Amino acid sequence: MTKQTDVVTSAEGEVFDVELEADILKANRELAKENHENLKKFGVMTIDVMGSIGSGKTSIIKSLISILKDKRRIAVIEGDVTTTIDSDLIAEEGVPTVQVNTGKECHLDANLIKKALARMRLDQLDLIFIENVGNLICPAEFPLGSDKRLVVISVTEGPYMVVKHPMMFLQADSVAINKVDLAEIMGVNPSKLRDDIARINPRATVISTSCRSKIGIEDISSSLGLLHS
Amino acid sequence: MHEFSIATTLVNTLLDFAQKEGAESKVLEVYLRVGKLRGIAIEQLIFSYGILSKGTLLDGSKLIVEETAAEAHCHQCDFKETFQLADESFHFGIPQLSCPQCGASLDLEGGDEIVIAKVRMLRASHD
Repeated sequence: MTKQTDVVTSAEGEVFDVELEADILKANRELAKENHENLKKFGVMTIDVMGSIGSGKTSIIKSLISILKDKRRIAVIEGDVTTTIDSDLIAEEGVPTVQVNTGKECHLDANLIKKALARMRLDQLDLIFIENVGNLICPAEFPLGSDKRLVVISVTEGPYMVVKHPMMFLQADSVAINKVDLAEIMGVNPSKLRDDIARINPRATVISTSCRSKIGIEDISSSLGLLHS
Repeated sequence: MHEFSIATTLVNTLLDFAQKEGAESKVLEVYLRVGKLRGIAIEQLIFSYGILSKGTLLDGSKLIVEETAAEAHCHQCDFKETFQLADESFHFGIPQLSCPQCGASLDLEGGDEIVIAKVRMLRASHD
């Protein structure tokens, strides 16, 4: 091998271009499409839940399950870098969970979801929540094959998280502004956050929520159409 | 952070290609098109590429990145323009999907690609 490398670097070598036009995101996009078609076949709706660390993604999912579990057959895919803490919390609601640990990666991708779906009884489900890794940047880049995207932010993250992470909101169907019961203590104005989101993505439905005070949970459910298949 | 995983996919795709081209050709330059909406830090991507390509067929090759913009179109008032980041003083700017003319929501086309456009190679002379 070393000898051949010496040959190719010779000054007499010919330089040429190869037009590749290779789309490096294609593999993930195609797998996402495959996941989507697979879920459609079984009539399962999927929601990708994204948001920063500690914004309350797990609590929102738990609250949604508690108001929906009598009407829908629900399962949860829990994405985290490590540990099963979140899926153990979700399991308290009595729904099946699959924990996906990414190890080093900061986001879920379509291949990990494909593997998780293979472990689930899709014929016995109506609705799957996919809790992405806590991160406001990377998950936006990797479609999973879900029907809708819910972004969860909270007033405890301060007043600027929307304008600092605009990409995440461009593709959101609904945005929950969580922990609104703490807004006053935090000195954060939720209507300012609403304005920021509306400027970036006027199509997204924005809902103020508090899991502790049970505010806005029904509204998230209806904005995402969770009771309709 | 996602720059590293994107660089990994990039390097794997290029290694498949380089292996097919055979050991007589060496990759000199890689031309990549990256959509501005991807929010990728180009410097980090190039840095990751350098680390990942070390000791492979791509060792020493140069990654050249061209950023491509999205086109925005309003179906309400037919406003069209190259999608602007609202405030360039932020590192990434703030994209707005509300039409500056009528306030309706804009549709975007492009600006989200990551494509290896071409690879510049050096082939050994056999004269």
